[in-house]
Amino acid sequence: EEHVKMKQKKVVEADPAEAEEFEREFRALMQESIDSRKLEMRARPTLNMMIPMNLFEGSKDHGRITDGESGDDVPDEQGGNSVRFRVLVKKGNKQQTRQLHIPRDCSLVQSTKQKEAAELEE
Amino acid sequence: DDPGDDDIHDFSKRDLPEHACKYCGIHNPACIVRCNVPSCRKWFCNSRGNTSGSHIVNHLVRAKHKEVCLHKDSPLGETILECYNCGCRNVFLLGFIPAKSESVVVLLCREPCLSVNGLKDMNWDLSSWLPLIDDRCFLEWLVKVPSEQEQLRARQISAQQINKVEELWKTSPEATLEDLEKPGVDDEPLPVALKYEDAYQYQNIFGPLVKLEADYDKMMKESQSKDNITVRWDIGLNKKRVAYFVFPKEDNELRLVPGDELRLRYPGDSTHSAWQSVGHVIKLTAQEEVALELRASQGVPIDVNHNFSVDFVWKSTSFDRMQAAMKTFAVDETSVSGYIYHRLLGHEVELQTVRNTLPRRFGAPGLPELNASQVYAVKSVLQKPVSLIQGPPGTGKTVTSAAIVYHLAKQGQGQVLVCAPSNVAVDQLAEKISATGLKVVRLCAKSREAVSSPVEHLTLHYQVRHLDTSDKSELHKLQLLKDEQGELSSADEKKYKALKRATEREIAQSADVICCTCVGAGDPRLSNFRFRQVLIDESTQATEPECSIPLVLGCKQVVLVGDHCQLGPVIMCKKAARAGLSQSLFERLVLLGVKPIRLQVQYRMHPCLSEFPSNNFYEGTLQNGVTMNQRLSQGIDFPWPVPNRPMFFYVQMGQEEISASGTSYLNRTESANVEKIVTTFLKSGVNPSQIGVITPYEGQRAYIVNHMARNGSLRQQLYKEIEVASVDSFQGREKDYIILSCVRSNEHQGIGFLNDPRRLNVALTRARYGIVILGNPKVLSKQPLWNSLLTHYKEHECLVEGALNNLKQSMVQFQKPKKIYN
Ligand SMILES: [Zn+2]
Ligand SMILES: [Zn+2]
Ligand SMILES: [Zn+2]
Repeated sequence: EEHVKMKQKKVVEADPAEAEEFEREFRALMQESIDSRKLEMRARPTLNMMIPMNLFEGSKDHGRITDGESGDDVPDEQGGNSVRFRVLVKKGNKQQTRQLHIPRDCSLVQSTKQKEAAELEE
Repeated sequence: DDPGDDDIHDFSKRDLPEHACKYCGIHNPACIVRCNVPSCRKWFCNSRGNTSGSHIVNHLVRAKHKEVCLHKDSPLGETILECYNCGCRNVFLLGFIPAKSESVVVLLCREPCLSVNGLKDMNWDLSSWLPLIDDRCFLEWLVKVPSEQEQLRARQISAQQINKVEELWKTSPEATLEDLEKPGVDDEPLPVALKYEDAYQYQNIFGPLVKLEADYDKMMKESQSKDNITVRWDIGLNKKRVAYFVFPKEDNELRLVPGDELRLRYPGDSTHSAWQSVGHVIKLTAQEEVALELRASQGVPIDVNHNFSVDFVWKSTSFDRMQAAMKTFAVDETSVSGYIYHRLLGHEVELQTVRNTLPRRFGAPGLPELNASQVYAVKSVLQKPVSLIQGPPGTGKTVTSAAIVYHLAKQGQGQVLVCAPSNVAVDQLAEKISATGLKVVRLCAKSREAVSSPVEHLTLHYQVRHLDTSDKSELHKLQLLKDEQGELSSADEKKYKALKRATEREIAQSADVICCTCVGAGDPRLSNFRFRQVLIDESTQATEPECSIPLVLGCKQVVLVGDHCQLGPVIMCKKAARAGLSQSLFERLVLLGVKPIRLQVQYRMHPCLSEFPSNNFYEGTLQNGVTMNQRLSQGIDFPWPVPNRPMFFYVQMGQEEISASGTSYLNRTESANVEKIVTTFLKSGVNPSQIGVITPYEGQRAYIVNHMARNGSLRQQLYKEIEVASVDSFQGREKDYIILSCVRSNEHQGIGFLNDPRRLNVALTRARYGIVILGNPKVLSKQPLWNSLLTHYKEHECLVEGALNNLKQSMVQFQKPKKIYN
C-alpha cells in the first residue's frame, strides 16, 4: 500500500482540563472496582491455577500452533522482536491455549527468560 | 409502473461493519474490542486519536462499563477477558502473569486473586503482574494500536464529542455521531469549509446541503403541474406512443431536459374514462414542444387532444447517489487512495508524483496537433495524482482532455473513467476519445436510452442490441419478442434481464474508457467496477458531492477540467447556495493552492472579441490562435461601425417591464432592435443556425421569439430556426454571431443576473465572428465590470446609437461605478 506523508505531524492536543477530568474518572473507577471486590470476595477464592501440561504436549500436532514452538523468537511486523507465548484461557470449564506474540522487551518476557536462563545454569 | 433498475441500490456495502469503532470508524479486527455490557455491546478501537486515553478506555470510563470481548478474527479469537482463577471480568482489575518456566501467561485479577497466598507456591510469577490497561490504553500486543495511516483516515473525534455522544447513548443507545451533529429543522445549515478534519466531517456538512437542495428540487418540480395542456399524438419508430405538447415555463423554474419523467393525465369525459401514464421526455423540439414517450401502450385516449394535465415525476436518484458517494468516501478506505483522500480534504501532505514513463509525443492519433500549452497540460497531468486544467473559452479543452485520456489508457492501469455533469459534454468527449482509436463505452441513464445521441453507436444499450455474435442470439430473440409484444412472460423476462446484464457487463469490461455523467458513475451497472484514473470535464459546473460520485470508485489519479471564471453549478435552493454548495471542488482546490494549468490559445473568437475577456478574466494571458483574416465575414454586408471590428454596443433607452408571469423582465425596444439586427444578418446571407440571441431573462426570451415570428419581414421559418436562450444554456457552446440583449433598464434597481462577472464572461465569449450588445449604458455603467466593458467599446468607437442603417457614436454619459471590481 502507498504511504502518504503528512507535511506536519499532527499535534495531539489533548485538552489539559479534559485530560485531568478523564484521569480523575479513571482513578475513581479503578478505586471503586478494587473496593467492590474487597467487599464481594470476603471468602478466599479457591485456587484453580494448575498449568495443564497435557495441553502443551499434544499441541505440536493439533491446535492453533503450527508454525513454531512456544518461546520461539519471531520477528514481528514492525521489525522488532517478539516471543511466542501461549495464553491460557478457560472456555466454560475447558482449558485452552491461544498463541500470542509478546514483544521481547515486555516485562513478562523478561521475567520468563531470566528464570529460564537461571534454570539452565543450575 | 416499472421503476427500472436505476432505483435499486445496494447500500449495505457502503456501511461500516458492525465491529467498527463507534467513535472513529476503525474496523481492523486486531485493533478493536467490544464492550461486553449486555445493554451496550459497542465496539471501540485501541487508538487514542485526539484524547488522552484510547477509544475503548474512554468509553469504559465514560460509560462506567467494565467488561470487554475480543473480535473473532483477532489473534486470540472471540474471547471475553476474565481472571483465569475466579472469572472476574472487570478489566480495570485484570493483568497478565507469566508462568515461572513455561512461556505461558494467564489473566489474573489483582483483587483478590493476586494476593491469595497459595498462589505464591505455584508455578506462577506474581511479581511480574502486568495490568491489562497501561497508560489508559489496552496492552498494545493484545489489542493493536491502529497504524498511523489508519488513524489519519479515521474520524477525528474530539474529547468533547466523545462526552456528548456518551451522554446521548445513556438515553438512546442506538444514536450515532451524525445525530449529534444534525442541525435542527430551522437551523441555518453549516457552511462549507476549505479544509475538513476527515471524510465524516465532510459528509456532515455536505449531506445536509444536498438534502436541502433535494427537498427544494422536489417541492419545486412537484408543484409544476400544468393543466389545460393540448396534446398531439404520434407513434415512435419503436412503436411506442409519443405525446407532443408545449410545457409553459418561467424564470427560475424548471427547464425540462431529455430523460425527465412526466405524468400525463386526462380527467375523463362522457365517452372516455379518466386516464394517466408516465413517460420520459425524449426530446425538445425547436418549436419548444416536449416529446414524451409514454410507458403505457394500451388505452391511450389518442382521439382527444385537449384538457390534459402534466405533472413532474421527481426522482431522488441523483441526490441518493451523491449521499452514497460521500458515505463511501468516509467508510470505505479503498474508495480513493490515501493521497487523494488527504488532498481532497485539504490536508497538508508531501506532494507525490506518478511514476511512469512519459510518452514521446503528447498528441494522440485522430486528434488535431496540440499547441504548446496543451502539450504542457498533458505532460504535467500524466505526472501528478491531482491536477486541474483551466480551459478558457475556445481553448481546446475537449481535445486536450481526449489526449490525456488516450495516454492514461495506454498506461495499462485499467479502465479510465471519463465524466462531466452534462450529457452534452459527455457525448462530445466520448466522440473525441473514440477518434483516438480507444474502445469507448458511453453509459446512459436508462431513462435516456430513447433520447437520440450523436454517439449512439458508443452507448452501452446500443452495443448490447447490436452485438453481432451467435451466442447473443438468445438475448436478441427475447429482445425482438419484447419489442413486438411490449412485454414478456415473467420467466422470459427473468431470462432476458439476466442475459442483458451479463452482456452489458461483458461489453463494459472490454472497453478502455467508460464515459458517463457524474451522476451516471453511480449507476448500479458500474457498482463492481474500479477506476484508478478519472477525468472530469466541466468540473467547475458540478457540485462537490456530484464530483465525488466518480471519484469513490477507487481513484488514484484525478484530472479536473473546467474554468472557474465561467458559470458554476446551478443551485436552486438559496439556503444551500449561501452555505456554499455552489462552489465546485475545482474552485476549492484552487483556493487550497492547487495551481490550475491554463490552456492559453483560443481558437474561437475574432481577436478583437477576445481582448476584453482576456484582460478582465484571464490576466491578459489568452492568446489568439485565429487571425483577423480567418474571422472575416466574407460577403456579409453588415453595418459594423468600425470595419475590421465586428462588435458594437448598441445604446438602448427603452424601459424594462415586468413580464406577464410577474416573475421576469422584458424590454420591447431591445426586442424590436434584436429583430432588426437578425433580419439584417439574414438578408446579408448569414444562416439562421449561425446566429444566437442571448438574454438573461425568460420573459425577454419568450418575447423576442414571438416578436420575431410576428414582425420579422422575412420568412417566419427563418426566425424560428434562430436559437434564443439564456446565458447559462449557451455555456460550453459557440455561434458565429451573437446578439446579447441585456433587458434591464431602470433608475434604481440593480441589473440582476448581469451582476455576475462569470455570466458576463460566458456571454461575451460565445461568438466567433461578431457580437452586438444591446443595453442601457446609464444603468449598466454603475457596475464596475460593465463600466469597463462600456469604456472599452467607447474607446474603440464601438459604442453607438441611432438607426441600424445609420449608426452614430454615442455620447451617453456613464455613471460612476459603485465599487472597484476586482
Ligand atoms: Zn459499553
Ligand atoms: Zn476508535
Ligand atoms: Zn480473580
